[in-house]
Amino acid sequence: MTTDDSSSSVRRRMGGLTRRRLLTQGTAFGAAGLVGGVTGFPFINRLSARAQGAPLKFWQFYAPGGNVESQSQWFEKTVADWNASHEQQIELEYLPNADYMDGTRLPTAFASGEGPDLFIISPGDFLRYYNGGVLLDLTPFIEDAAKSDFSESVIANRMVDGKIFGIPMEVEPMAMYYSIPAFEEAGLNENDVPQTWDQLLDVAQKLTNDQRYGVLFDVTPGYYQNFTWYPFMWQGGGDIQGADGQSSFNSPAVIQALKLWQDAVNMGAAPRQVLGGGGFDIVPNLGSGYVAMQNVGIWGIAALRDGAPDLPYGVFKLPVPQGGKYVTVGGGWAFVANARGANPEAAGEFCAWALASMSPDSVQRVTDWCTVAKSDMPPRASALEAGGAAYQEGMMGVFSREIYPGTRAEPRVPPEVYKIVSDAIQATMLGGQDPAAAAAAASDQLNAFLSGYSGAPVL
Amino acid sequence: MSERVPKYRYTAGQVTIVRAIWVLIGAVLALMTLFPLLWMVSISFKTQAEMFDMGLVPANPTLDNFRYVFTQVDFVRYLLNTFFVAATVTLVALLFHSMAGYALARLRFPGREAIFLTMFSTFLVSLPVIIVPLFILVRSLGMLNSFSGLIIPSIFNAFGIFLLRQFYLSVPRELEEAALIDGAGHFRIYWSVILPISRPILSALAILFFLANWNAFLWPLTVTRDPELRLVQVAIAGFQGQYTAAWNYIMAASTVVALPMLVLFLIFQRQIMDSLKTSGLK
Amino acid sequence: MTLQQTDTAAGPRPAARRRLSFRTREKIAGYLFVLPDALGLLVFVGLPMLLALGLGFFEVDGFGGYRFAGLANYRRMWADPLFWQSLGATLLYAAMLVPSLYVSGLGLALLVERTNAWNGVLRAIFFLPQMVSLVVVALIWKMLTVEKIGAISRALSPLGLGGISFLGNPDWAMFAVVFVSVWFLMGFYMLIFLGGLQDIPKEYYEAARIDGAGPLSSFWFITLPLLRPTSFFVLLVSLVTAVAGGAAFDLIYVMTKGGPANSTSLLIFYAYQQAFQYNSFGYAGAIASILVAVLLLVTLVMFLLTRGGRFQYE
Repeated sequence: MTTDDSSSSVRRRMGGLTRRRLLTQGTAFGAAGLVGGVTGFPFINRLSARAQGAPLKFWQFYAPGGNVESQSQWFEKTVADWNASHEQQIELEYLPNADYMDGTRLPTAFASGEGPDLFIISPGDFLRYYNGGVLLDLTPFIEDAAKSDFSESVIANRMVDGKIFGIPMEVEPMAMYYSIPAFEEAGLNENDVPQTWDQLLDVAQKLTNDQRYGVLFDVTPGYYQNFTWYPFMWQGGGDIQGADGQSSFNSPAVIQALKLWQDAVNMGAAPRQVLGGGGFDIVPNLGSGYVAMQNVGIWGIAALRDGAPDLPYGVFKLPVPQGGKYVTVGGGWAFVANARGANPEAAGEFCAWALASMSPDSVQRVTDWCTVAKSDMPPRASALEAGGAAYQEGMMGVFSREIYPGTRAEPRVPPEVYKIVSDAIQATMLGGQDPAAAAAAASDQLNAFLSGYSGAPVL
Repeated sequence: MSERVPKYRYTAGQVTIVRAIWVLIGAVLALMTLFPLLWMVSISFKTQAEMFDMGLVPANPTLDNFRYVFTQVDFVRYLLNTFFVAATVTLVALLFHSMAGYALARLRFPGREAIFLTMFSTFLVSLPVIIVPLFILVRSLGMLNSFSGLIIPSIFNAFGIFLLRQFYLSVPRELEEAALIDGAGHFRIYWSVILPISRPILSALAILFFLANWNAFLWPLTVTRDPELRLVQVAIAGFQGQYTAAWNYIMAASTVVALPMLVLFLIFQRQIMDSLKTSGLK
Repeated sequence: MTLQQTDTAAGPRPAARRRLSFRTREKIAGYLFVLPDALGLLVFVGLPMLLALGLGFFEVDGFGGYRFAGLANYRRMWADPLFWQSLGATLLYAAMLVPSLYVSGLGLALLVERTNAWNGVLRAIFFLPQMVSLVVVALIWKMLTVEKIGAISRALSPLGLGGISFLGNPDWAMFAVVFVSVWFLMGFYMLIFLGGLQDIPKEYYEAARIDGAGPLSSFWFITLPLLRPTSFFVLLVSLVTAVAGGAAFDLIYVMTKGGPANSTSLLIFYAYQQAFQYNSFGYAGAIASILVAVLLLVTLVMFLLTRGGRFQYE
């Protein structure tokens, strides 16, 4: 408590200093900035009013006072440990999660040349920042032993041409959660846990009554909905882009995946609206009894532990279609450094030091994040080992044994591709459009976009 | 004139019936308006476990959510920050806008309508559209991360000018003319004739301006980083986590934030209604 | 206090007044009165607005790269089905919202016009939605409208409408968003109408009553005509709100994210997505410039038809 206070008063004093310095620099740059703004449009403004040696800014959304204290504490400890042993200081800055996800703050910062030195991104955002040229190549900072410590499927979507541009801090595979009381009420037990899509729809229908829906797939248009839909596309062998670089979206596998979600809604077994923050929010939906099964990631374990500790529930892997093969999708965020920041060298070093060094501290940090702060799979083999018992028991055991082994990394797609896929899902699931027609239309749009696309490969 | 008998004459009974119907309509509409907000208040007293059970009355009412809001983050400070920003913006904006509105409505000068239309055209964009260039501009003026950055850009909006101009258009000419004959200058007419009769509309605007700044989110989020300068809505957004949101805290904080606004409204709405009578205009 | 102030303010004036004609002094006063706001608006809204809209002629990557692109963004808009769909959604939204706000705002103002304690409470209640943050508004309305268990669904289930997802069904979502928008905004317009109603001399009503006019005809022949400057304001402001953003954008952003199936994707929301989700600041600028151009046109026409919103005055 006391240490907290003194450190914050130190920060306050330092903040005052930098602000004053900023102010003088600001006026000096004022005229130049205005002229630049008027003559050359604002977006070329790369003037950095940042003083040399000032702390690097690390943006993320784990706010103190937020609902998971252990997560903000992990960030604070990580940065404090770094600051204690390094000359270049780092400062945490929080953005509210909702704004970080699809708000204006981060884009505004980058568009004005004021981007943070360090920040975190999901695969969905990777190409946007990579193609924008702001991601620093972190490969030189990572020792070879550590490179092979990350599993291929986890690191691949953060790499371009064999170079690493982001260091994953977690892997969050998707699964199905079910409420045991709801199953019992419907006269079902664990032997009825669905393994195929047909069974899924059948069981969902049985679980549906006038107060409850059988199964929940996310409904809100956005990156998250796409993310949760991809495994259903992959299970039948479908994909967005073929080996030839053309769209492969107009395929039976894609059409049947679109149809699965549509059927679930049309037969009244899946809702069109969700409670709480969205489809990822498990306590207001499964926890409240509004749905009996919910398609959620591994974070649901921690969320239910905190928010609905009395609910007996189970977890099972995503059911597969006829002739399909099990696969799920693994999300998760990564540390990245701004190549145009004040001190990219130190920022890159920090990313590697924090998450990708072979030192025991670094491994333990990853383990702590994934077991103490969150309930996630670790991206590193050594951290999985260090996690030990945490990954043997209970629901985490189910995830590490059954669900995680079939994980494919969340695809990184440019925003335009995301939107095309999103429109197809929305049009079929909630708009009632014919899946075949939607897939064909989306495929045409994808081809039109891909033919003119020149960024890093879509994965 | 007084000889003529009104065609419509109501008996006492009819008046009572009409009044009763009026009250009834008001009550029904008020209930419908209020209904959704009862959930906010209700959830702010609920534990996390029963947050989404859809019942309006908490089974185990608790004050923990309020306690959390005031102890876990520096909420009092955020409230004070917000009050300072909203009050300053409101005061300065009312002064500037009433001056501009008065001139645009009543004073004759070349280019008046063109100036007004140009000012009005700035009303056609909302903040997200201009936020990147505005941010750059405010940065180049050295106002990032400061109260001036929070306050100054929020003062100017064409809405208030437009509203006041429309109001001043319908102020009777005689008022000004009487003052002019007395030899008063334009500033004195503005200050001692126009401002006093503007109390109702200025009160209405004060509510609207204060409210807009009291609940501002996007601009405060964009222009400040220092936790010392945080405003309430940014702080409330911090209760939303990555995959879960502490809705009970969010609702408790929002209830706390709405209360001062309600008090302010109750004070000012009387001004809107009463002032014309006291100004001796009619 | 007032006397003192006016005395000191008038001190240096008489000399100047003798030199300048009344007309000249009026002109100078006019410019000086407008100056603070004109300057502030120019710097903090006008300039950023020109820069943002000017980006419509550029291709911008959102990381400092930009390239002159001529009319490319406008050509892209012409061929973009989502642009047209969003334009349609915007027109539908505005066509429903503007009259609803006018009627509800004026209706509530008339309902609570008389000054008494009960009406004071009613005014506060009708204005209450405005006081709550939008995140809360969105969460509550999503809870109320969720299928089967939401309060509204339960209330409607005796009619057989309990299974309707008002925000999750493309056929309903726009109506639901308009409904919530009206609920949220009506207190605002009520307040403005109350101000306008206070402006109408009570003697007019008295005279009309004596002349034998009923409540309906005095509303029609006195209230409405004398409210014209206020009505003009309300119609124009609610139109701008519906089309160019402000509350409409916020509500869409927190409630539907433009879904389901793009049914509530207003143009301003689409422009926002282009800018902040796809980094297409240039395309967003082009879309916003179309919105501004259309609104400017409508405004001009309205101003011309009403002699600058002055009606019979002056």
